[in-house]
Amino acid sequence: MEVLKTEALTKVYGSGQCSVTALEDASLSVEQGEFAAIVGTSGSGKSTLLHMLGGLDRPTSGKVFVEGKDIFSLKDEALTIFRRRKIGFVFQSFNLVPALNVYENIVFPIQLDGSDADEGFVREVMETLGIDGLRERLPNQLSGGQQQRVAIARALAAKPAIILADEPTGNLDSKTSQDVLSLLKVTGQKFSRTIVMITHNEAIAQMADRIIRIEDGHIVKGGTAND
Amino acid sequence: MTKVNNRKVIRRLALREMKSDVKMAVVVILSIILTCILFTALTAVGGSLINGIQQETMRQVGGNRMAGLKYVLPEDYEKVVHDSAARDVVYRIIIGKCVNEEMKNIYAEFCCAGDEASAEAIFSLPTEGRLPESIDEVALSTIALDELHLPHEIGTAVPLEIDIDGERIEQTFTLCGIWEGDSVSTAQECWLSRAFADKYAPTPTESFYTQKNMRYAGYWSVDYNYANSWNIEGKTEALLQRLYGGSEHKPYFGINWAYTTGTVDSGAVAGGAVLILVIFAAGYLIIYNIFHINISAKIRSYGMLKTIGTTAKQIRYMIRVRAALYSAIGIPLGLVIGMLISRLIMSAVVATLNIRTANSFNVSPELTLMICLISALFTFATVMISCKKPGRIAGGVSPIEALRYNETVLKKDRKDKKTGKITPLAVARSNMTRTRKKTFIVVLSLTLSIVLVNTLYTVLNGFDTDKYISHSIVGDINIRHTDNTDQYEEQTKGITPDMIEGIRQASGEDVHPVYYDFGSVNASGEAPARLKKLSEKYGSHEQVREALSMAAEGRYMAEIYGIDETAAGYCVPLEGSIDTQKLKSGRYAAVYTYLFGAEGDSDVQIYHVGDTISIECGENDVREYEVMAVCEIPYPLSTKLYNIFSTQVMVYTDEYLSLSAEPGAVCVMINTDDDSGSVREKCRAYCDEGGSPLVYADKQKYLDEFDDFIGMVKLVGGILSGILALIGILNFVNAVVTGILSRKRELAMMNAVGMTGEQLKKMLMWEGTHYAVLTAICSAVIGTFISCFAVRAVTGDMFFYTYHFTLVPILVCTVILLIFSAFIPFAAYKLICRESVVERLREN
Repeated sequence: MEVLKTEALTKVYGSGQCSVTALEDASLSVEQGEFAAIVGTSGSGKSTLLHMLGGLDRPTSGKVFVEGKDIFSLKDEALTIFRRRKIGFVFQSFNLVPALNVYENIVFPIQLDGSDADEGFVREVMETLGIDGLRERLPNQLSGGQQQRVAIARALAAKPAIILADEPTGNLDSKTSQDVLSLLKVTGQKFSRTIVMITHNEAIAQMADRIIRIEDGHIVKGGTAND
Repeated sequence: MTKVNNRKVIRRLALREMKSDVKMAVVVILSIILTCILFTALTAVGGSLINGIQQETMRQVGGNRMAGLKYVLPEDYEKVVHDSAARDVVYRIIIGKCVNEEMKNIYAEFCCAGDEASAEAIFSLPTEGRLPESIDEVALSTIALDELHLPHEIGTAVPLEIDIDGERIEQTFTLCGIWEGDSVSTAQECWLSRAFADKYAPTPTESFYTQKNMRYAGYWSVDYNYANSWNIEGKTEALLQRLYGGSEHKPYFGINWAYTTGTVDSGAVAGGAVLILVIFAAGYLIIYNIFHINISAKIRSYGMLKTIGTTAKQIRYMIRVRAALYSAIGIPLGLVIGMLISRLIMSAVVATLNIRTANSFNVSPELTLMICLISALFTFATVMISCKKPGRIAGGVSPIEALRYNETVLKKDRKDKKTGKITPLAVARSNMTRTRKKTFIVVLSLTLSIVLVNTLYTVLNGFDTDKYISHSIVGDINIRHTDNTDQYEEQTKGITPDMIEGIRQASGEDVHPVYYDFGSVNASGEAPARLKKLSEKYGSHEQVREALSMAAEGRYMAEIYGIDETAAGYCVPLEGSIDTQKLKSGRYAAVYTYLFGAEGDSDVQIYHVGDTISIECGENDVREYEVMAVCEIPYPLSTKLYNIFSTQVMVYTDEYLSLSAEPGAVCVMINTDDDSGSVREKCRAYCDEGGSPLVYADKQKYLDEFDDFIGMVKLVGGILSGILALIGILNFVNAVVTGILSRKRELAMMNAVGMTGEQLKKMLMWEGTHYAVLTAICSAVIGTFISCFAVRAVTGDMFFYTYHFTLVPILVCTVILLIFSAFIPFAAYKLICRESVVERLREN
């Protein structure tokens, strides 16, 4: 089943003479349970693409469908709510709330939604990621790898349709990167989540089921599962 | 979308964030405390002043009931008692006035009090003894007893002469009650018994308002309160309508002006509103600034919250919760400190006033509660409004922008910056122009408080003792005839040449009598035409029209004054000048025409310099004078009585003496260099001699009165100026400090690329100096404008005011700002230098 689909996504920054086309006519689709890596050099437009997949930024033209829903037909406020229910993010810089402890960080998006976390599920995720012993710790008491695992747990906790990971290993050393990535992949499989990750690191990209290559704002390879 | 319950998690996050950033929280809370202190101090000082002035006014009025009916009958009293709106109804029965020789300096009236509450309502309840019960008992104030030279002892025999509607009764009473008299009140109450009232002033059978002859004795004064002091006049009119319907003979009513807005006039209200606004603005700016900086610093974390699904609404709510948490800590502390400070201020205020007054300025518990409520409310409103915009900014942050936030906002249509020589001054300047909006807000708020300080100072500085005194007394001593007489002639020219000689001998100084007589003006020359024009202009008022039409027939009232050169020296001509030689020649006069309701209109002046005025005094003695000046006789030297239309004619003493058939003076003025007070004592003694109708007035008394008043005004004004100046300076400190702290990273970056600490400090100092100089310029311009137009216009009506232009306060404030602008950057920079450049660069 197709979870994520884009149609002719184009993003132009600025206007007139100094306009920059960051992304042009990008179409791709991702199947349920897939682990896709978007690979490109710095400035190739991969971050722009990811931001639009996650509804963080609006495209100049084109559409993004998540579980068949055109997300940019939603107003900002509704889009935010849609995002916290359907999309989990993992960032390069972890982006944990410093004032909340590990457990609170993980269930934060769920509580923002006014729901109760699925206790059993969260515990299972935390065990899988090996952070169940860190429940009460504050983010600044954790190592980078631990922080990123908490971020992954947070992304999973709300049982989203897709997890978007933006250079999840960018701030980690290579050993930790391997560990975190393995965990990402394993948990994704275990809880059958769809994962889209962007990276500039070929070695890391190789761990994905599919590699989508992007150059100068164009998808050059791997736009669909059949490519 | 389902309705979601997510407030709990937001509140928890808000609380946690506050705990995690204690430094920030302390700064915000401090600023809230400050704002709250300012509000509390202002409302407490303002509240107790209003309260005190109200009490003071009640003392002058001589009663604390809100309204009253005059000259009514017992049945009217019953009506009022049974009316639903009136409460605390009291009454007293009018008997007569005291005409004892010794009491000529005060006005004392005899009444019978309904009960103790009635006596208390007019501050005349005996504190020793009781109200009279038997026909020969009397209760008096200490002031009345002092005038009568009697001891303050119950049982003392008191001989009194009572005038009851023209009939005199002399009787010796026994003193049964005493209370502390108040010199401020206009009348001294003397209580007699109901038995006495029933015998000598029985309840009249006819209403006061329908009777033929003007009798007062036996009628009741009924005073009462309403539930609140709002619109007393309207309520009273409604009450009269209820009780008397459309009757023609509705009783007179009185409104206690202590309760009307008279004490809290529109000027004071406007002033208070401006002060509240300034504090509001200052509080807003400080708190807004801090919130804004806090949010800019944390913009990434807000963006991050948004990426993981926090909505803009939730972020705004979170900021509001934090603001409320800060307020919950800051406001109670601010209230306590503010109340303490205002207590100090008020004790300083009352210390400068006499002890009796001090009690009026106490702050009652109810008032304290109200002050706290109002201040808390205002502070809370300030905080909530201040965090509104920062909340919007935080909520509106695009998750993407936040993730890559780096303080440089791209703007189109911006001219490129020219490359120039880089000096700390140049960098400072470019920083100021880069953040124009902030510069504008800071300079504006500083200007606002400094201009207000300047305005207040200008107002306070202009109170003119000499001018104030000149309205009450001219020269050092004025002796006049008592106005405790029905005879016009006695009142206006009752000081006979013998008395003048007596005064001269008693004082041993030169005396300057101002003689008075009345006569008529024979309108001639251009006068009839001017009179006609005048009656057309002011014909709408019936009595004025009548007086003018009589005048137009050719003759009208002349008030003839005989003055010497010393008295002439106090006259301020509107037109022409008073030449002593011309005056002495007897052929010249200074004239001034008065028309009721047309003060200040130059058309009223029927005679101008160069005209000839013809007056008649006594039988067929017509004399002509050339007008050398248009000039009013100083009020203290005048008869203090006004006709609807008349012309004052001032001639030299000798001329007057040859003119008047029966010369007499209205006032005798004495100037003395004697500091020992013996001249004063002698004059006073001469006036107080038994049988003498003369009343003594001394400049010192008015000086003391004025000093009391001005002392209070200056003190309060000074405190308010101080608060304003403090706000301004704190605002400045806030602007400079936050400017430095919020650019920690930017400064570190400059440091990293080679700007030395010395250069950085210099740059920061230049920025501060720019603020100070810009503020000084704006303040000077706006201050000049306000001073020249607003202050001059407002104070123009005050007779005791002399306008002086000044910008001294602005100068002083500028110097202070300059000192701060040099000092703060050093301190602030030292503070941020505790962390290394790398640490600072890494932040965020």
